[in-house]
Amino acid sequence: MGFVVVSDHGKEEAMNIVVAMKQVPDLKMIRIRDRRPLLEDVPFMMGEIDRSALEAGAELREALKGKLIVLSAGTEPLEDTVKEALAAGADEAILILDEALRDGESALVAQVLAAALARMPDVGIILFGEGSADNYSGQVMARVAEILSWPQVGYAREIRIEGGVAQITRSLEDCEELLEVPLPVAVSVVAEIRQPKTPSVTGILRAGRKPKTLWTLADLNIGLNGGAPVRTISRLAPVSSRLGQVIGSVDELVEIVKAKRGPS
Amino acid sequence: MDFKLTKEQELIQRTAREFAEKNLLPQVESIIEENRVPDAVIRDLKDLDLFALFMPEAYDGAGADYQSYVLVMEQIARICPAVAVIMSVNAVGLAAVEIFGTEAQKKTYLPPGCRGDGVLSFAFTEPGTGSDPKQITATATRKGDAYILNGTKRFITNASFAGPIIIIARETETGEVSGFIADKFCDGYAISEPWKKMGCQGAPLYDVYLKDLAVPAENRLGAPGKGFRILKVALALGKIGISAIFLGTMLAAYEEALRYAREKTHRGEPITKFQAIQMAIVDMAMKYEAARWMTYRIGYLADHAKDKGDILKDSAMAKIFVTETAVDLARIAVGVHGSYGLMKDYKVSQIWRDVIFGPQVEGVSHLLKVLVAGEILKG
Repeated sequence: MGFVVVSDHGKEEAMNIVVAMKQVPDLKMIRIRDRRPLLEDVPFMMGEIDRSALEAGAELREALKGKLIVLSAGTEPLEDTVKEALAAGADEAILILDEALRDGESALVAQVLAAALARMPDVGIILFGEGSADNYSGQVMARVAEILSWPQVGYAREIRIEGGVAQITRSLEDCEELLEVPLPVAVSVVAEIRQPKTPSVTGILRAGRKPKTLWTLADLNIGLNGGAPVRTISRLAPVSSRLGQVIGSVDELVEIVKAKRGPS
Repeated sequence: MDFKLTKEQELIQRTAREFAEKNLLPQVESIIEENRVPDAVIRDLKDLDLFALFMPEAYDGAGADYQSYVLVMEQIARICPAVAVIMSVNAVGLAAVEIFGTEAQKKTYLPPGCRGDGVLSFAFTEPGTGSDPKQITATATRKGDAYILNGTKRFITNASFAGPIIIIARETETGEVSGFIADKFCDGYAISEPWKKMGCQGAPLYDVYLKDLAVPAENRLGAPGKGFRILKVALALGKIGISAIFLGTMLAAYEEALRYAREKTHRGEPITKFQAIQMAIVDMAMKYEAARWMTYRIGYLADHAKDKGDILKDSAMAKIFVTETAVDLARIAVGVHGSYGLMKDYKVSQIWRDVIFGPQVEGVSHLLKVLVAGEILKG
C-alpha cells in the first residue's frame, strides 16, 4: 500500500516531513546538589523521544517521497547537537540560532518554529516528541498548530498517510483513538511509536556534510516584546531517602509489600 | 591542545556504547561459556560500521580514524573484551595489507575483512621463541611460483574464522624474514584445539600448524625480507587496540565498584561514607583518567604518523602502563566488593580474570620495556 499524496490532478506530489528537535542536557550526566540540578559542563544531546519521532519520520519519508527535515531553535551548541539527527537519517537541518533563545520557553519557541514552518515549502507533517526530556511541558506542538491554524494530534503511536490524509492512532491512558486529519498537520508522538536506531559510523561522519540552513530571529521578523511570558520560579528534585531496612527473606519481603499495598 | 572530543567522536563513542549495551550485554555470559562470539555479532558490528573503523570506505571500511577506533574499542571491551580482541587482531591484519599490500591483495582481502566475512589473523609468535622477531623459525621456501611454508605459530587469535592469515616466516634462501598472506583452511593449514584460557573467553587462541602450505608468490606481503617492517607496524597498531581494550575493562571495573559501593550498606549507611572506600574510589578514578589520556593520545599519534611503525615506542609505553594499571585498578575494584568480589555472580570477578591478560599479551611488559629502553637510550 502506498502513502504518496495524490493531488486533484492525480499527479504525485512529494511532501516534506519535519521533525522538531529540542536539545536537552544529557540526563545521565546531571548531578543534584541541594535538590537543584548542576548543569555546568553537562553536554547537550537530542532528546530520546525526538529520536523516536525522527525514526517515525524516516518511515513516512518513504511514503511521501519528500525530504526529512529537522527543525530546531536555540543557541549555538545546536549546530553540533543537530548532527545527531542528521546522523540518524535526517536529510537536512533548519536551525534558528539566537542568543535570545537561551532557555527559551514554550511560547517563544512555538512562535519561532511556526514562523520557520510558514517559510518552508511543501510541509506535510511536523512531528514533535510528546514532551522534552528536561522540562516536559509538552506545549510547543499545540502552540505551533494554533499559530498556523493546522490540525493537531497529540500522543500518536502510529501514523499512516494516504491521499492527502493522515490516519493517526493516539495512545491515551485507557484507550486508543483513531483519527483522520487533513495535511498539513502537527503531531506529537509517544516514545513507543518507534525505537530509535543507533546511527552508523558512516552516518555520523556524513552528518556534518548534509545541508544546514541557519536563520536568526531577525530573519523571521520576530521581535521580543517585553521578554518571556513564562518565568521559571523554582526547579527542585524530589526528596528521596533510604529506609535502610534489612529484609531477611523473600517471604518477609512479600509480606511487607502486601502490607503496604493494603487489602486487595 | 584540546582534550575535548568532537561531536562526531562523541556520537561514534555513543554508537559503540549503545551497541555494546543492547547487543553484547545480553549474551556476554554465553560468549564466555562457549568461548565463542556468534557470527551475528560480527554482522551487527559491520551494520553499524564499527568492525573496520579506520579502513577507507573504498574497501568497505568506515573511513573513520584511529582516535574513533580507540573510543569504540574501549566501549566494546567495557562490556565484552573478547569481541574487541577479535576486532583488534582483524584491524592489525587489515592495516598490514593496506600499508604493505599490492592493489590486487587489497582488493581481494580488505573488503571481506572489513565486512567481517573474511576475518584476518596475524601469526608471528612461536612456541620456542615467543615474540622475539629475531628468532623466528617458521620457514618459507621458494618453489616455482609459490612459497612453501612450514612451522608452528602459537596463541593465534581469529585462526578459526574463514579468511586470510598473515604469516611471518623466514625465507630459507636468504635467511631474511618476510610476510605472507595465506587463506586459512587451505591444504597445509591446521589448528589445535583452543587453549583453555582463564579470562577473555570468546576470542579463542589456537596453535596454527603449517605443513607444506603453498602460498602463491603474488601473496607475499611487501618486498622480500621486509617482514620486520611489517612486524613493527603491526606491533605498533596492535598495542593501540590492546590499550583501548584494557582501558575498557578498567572503566567496567571502576563502574562496578562504584555501583556496588553506593548500594552496599553497613550499619545502615552506604559504604561510600567510609574513607577507606572513598580513597579506593579516587585511586580508581585517577588510574582510569591517566590511562585514558595515554590511550587516546596514541590514537592521535597513529592518525598523524606518516609511518605507523614510528609510534611503536609510544604505543608500547601506553600498552605497558594501561594494562598494568588495569590490573591494579581491578584489584582495588575486587577489594571494594569484599568477599563478594570473588564470586562469579559479580561481574568484577570476571574482569579480574580478564585484566590479567593485558600485561601478558601483545608483548609481555618486560619485553616491551627492553624495547622502549633501547629507543630511549639509543645513540
